[in-house]
Amino acid sequence: MAGRSDAGSAIGDRIDAITAYFRSRPRLRTLVVAGPPYAVLVLFFAIPLLVMLVVSFQTSEIGGPWTLSNYTNFLTSETYLTVVWQTLVISLQVTAIIAVVGYALAYSIVRFSRRTTLLLLLVILPFWTSYIIRMYAWINILQSDGVLDSTLNLFGLPAVGLLYSQPAVLIGFTYVWLPLAILPFYASLTNLDPDLIEASKDLGAGPIRTFTSVTLPMTKNGVITGLILTFIPTFGSFITPRLLGGTNNIMIGMVIENQFKSAFNWPFGAAIGMVISVVVVALLILATRFGGGLFGQRSQGGAEA
Amino acid sequence: MSALSSLSAAVERTVHTHAARMATAVIALVIAFLWIPIAVLVFMSFAAGGVLSFPPEQLTLEWYRVFLTNDAAIDAIVTTITISVPATIITVTLSTMIAYAIDRYVFPGRDWLQMLATLPIIVPLVVTGVAMVLFFNGTLGLPEYVSVVVAHVIRTIPFATLVILPTFLTFDRRLEEASKDLGADELRTFWQVTLPNIFPGIVAGGLLAFTLSFNEFVYTYFVKGSGDPTLPVYIWNQIRYNVTPEVNVISVVFLVVAVTMVLVAVSLTRVDLLTRQ
Repeated sequence: MAGRSDAGSAIGDRIDAITAYFRSRPRLRTLVVAGPPYAVLVLFFAIPLLVMLVVSFQTSEIGGPWTLSNYTNFLTSETYLTVVWQTLVISLQVTAIIAVVGYALAYSIVRFSRRTTLLLLLVILPFWTSYIIRMYAWINILQSDGVLDSTLNLFGLPAVGLLYSQPAVLIGFTYVWLPLAILPFYASLTNLDPDLIEASKDLGAGPIRTFTSVTLPMTKNGVITGLILTFIPTFGSFITPRLLGGTNNIMIGMVIENQFKSAFNWPFGAAIGMVISVVVVALLILATRFGGGLFGQRSQGGAEA
Repeated sequence: MSALSSLSAAVERTVHTHAARMATAVIALVIAFLWIPIAVLVFMSFAAGGVLSFPPEQLTLEWYRVFLTNDAAIDAIVTTITISVPATIITVTLSTMIAYAIDRYVFPGRDWLQMLATLPIIVPLVVTGVAMVLFFNGTLGLPEYVSVVVAHVIRTIPFATLVILPTFLTFDRRLEEASKDLGADELRTFWQVTLPNIFPGIVAGGLLAFTLSFNEFVYTYFVKGSGDPTLPVYIWNQIRYNVTPEVNVISVVFLVVAVTMVLVAVSLTRVDLLTRQ
């Protein structure tokens, strides 16, 4: 008994000594808390991206001779450039759809609904199910004689057989990104002071005028964030075009997948990865210029000085 | 000109009168768009004819029986869980440390830490997936299991941090002051005052991290070699090469996991925390 309590107090002293040690060394304390996650993110996220940059300039394996051929092969191939163009077009179309539908939904929920929490939950929940499963659901719906066609038949309408077409890809993307894109729209709309809208109306502006000159400009940052959250993952996607797009809707992500899963040309795949990254970085810089706050806790973070 | 302005006035009036009704219609349509595919999956899992027939002539539990006796599918679920559970524990620990550091300390590189913890959401999955396969499998030669767990940790950190950080920000700091005034040091204050208060947020972050990891496909698909497939990889192979009606049942499994986890997570925090920027 006595021995154990001695041992206990010895351990207690030890702990006291350790905490005293850290208390007198705030830098070390910060290092112990922030260091491990920092190390993990740098080692397993940042460094891999740098390795990709390095590999993209090599011929076959790491340590081999340097070359620009991966980039020149990509940028001089009409096939690949067409794929990039097609990817860009699809991504912009999806972003436009999300902007209209997502904003309309967020606006309707914030301004006209009392059951906000329930509705928000209904919107977000599908996001948390498997991406592939959600695409599979749309295969069932869109394929010829699928749910959509059967339903149209019931009303005596002709079948459309949308699967493996561009509309199918657009529907699929809208379906997966809508729940995510809506969150920043919603957040910026809830932060908007309703008095401003009242003021605008009191001054004689109709609802449309109020929307275009007060609501939309005031929620611009949320809109930009939502659109970035739509455009970037669409631009890099391969699952949706693979499952819903058929052979006429090749996107750049599919070309990368192909390099790693069947062609086994890793440096070429890395170079395409870099091309996508450049587009993404350019977009982020543009978005930051226009005020979309993607790393936004800074204003709210409030660490004590 | 006056015709135009009177027209615009008419439009403004119409919008004003019907705004509430239009809003209800928008909400109803979008919710239907989001939930009909899910309803279709659930419904199809009971369809006797299998995948290609709609509407089904007969309802059956046959595919559930097939699923439960299919060792490949059950193995895939077990494989997924043996990856998701350790990944979730690591993620929650790291995300709590990130949130604590960002909320409490001022240090050089604080903004960078926050950016690094957000970036995996923004960088396209396929890009990070490629980078990971090059570094983990190519440079480091990590064992497949380790690569996949690490990939899942990177995938889930941003979301867990996004959920845990607000609980730190809204936590009443005076409780900690009181604890320290009473003589407790920082570590003891953390264990006895801070942690119990932010625990719901941490559990919520963990549940969402688990859900995300359970669904994770892109990183896993790239990083993973020829070993046992996770459930999403298994279902990808099924859909691409031989669709069986069993896929509908697996969809329902995914759905049940997601709905349960998210509802518990939401009940522990508040939905609007998820929308904080």
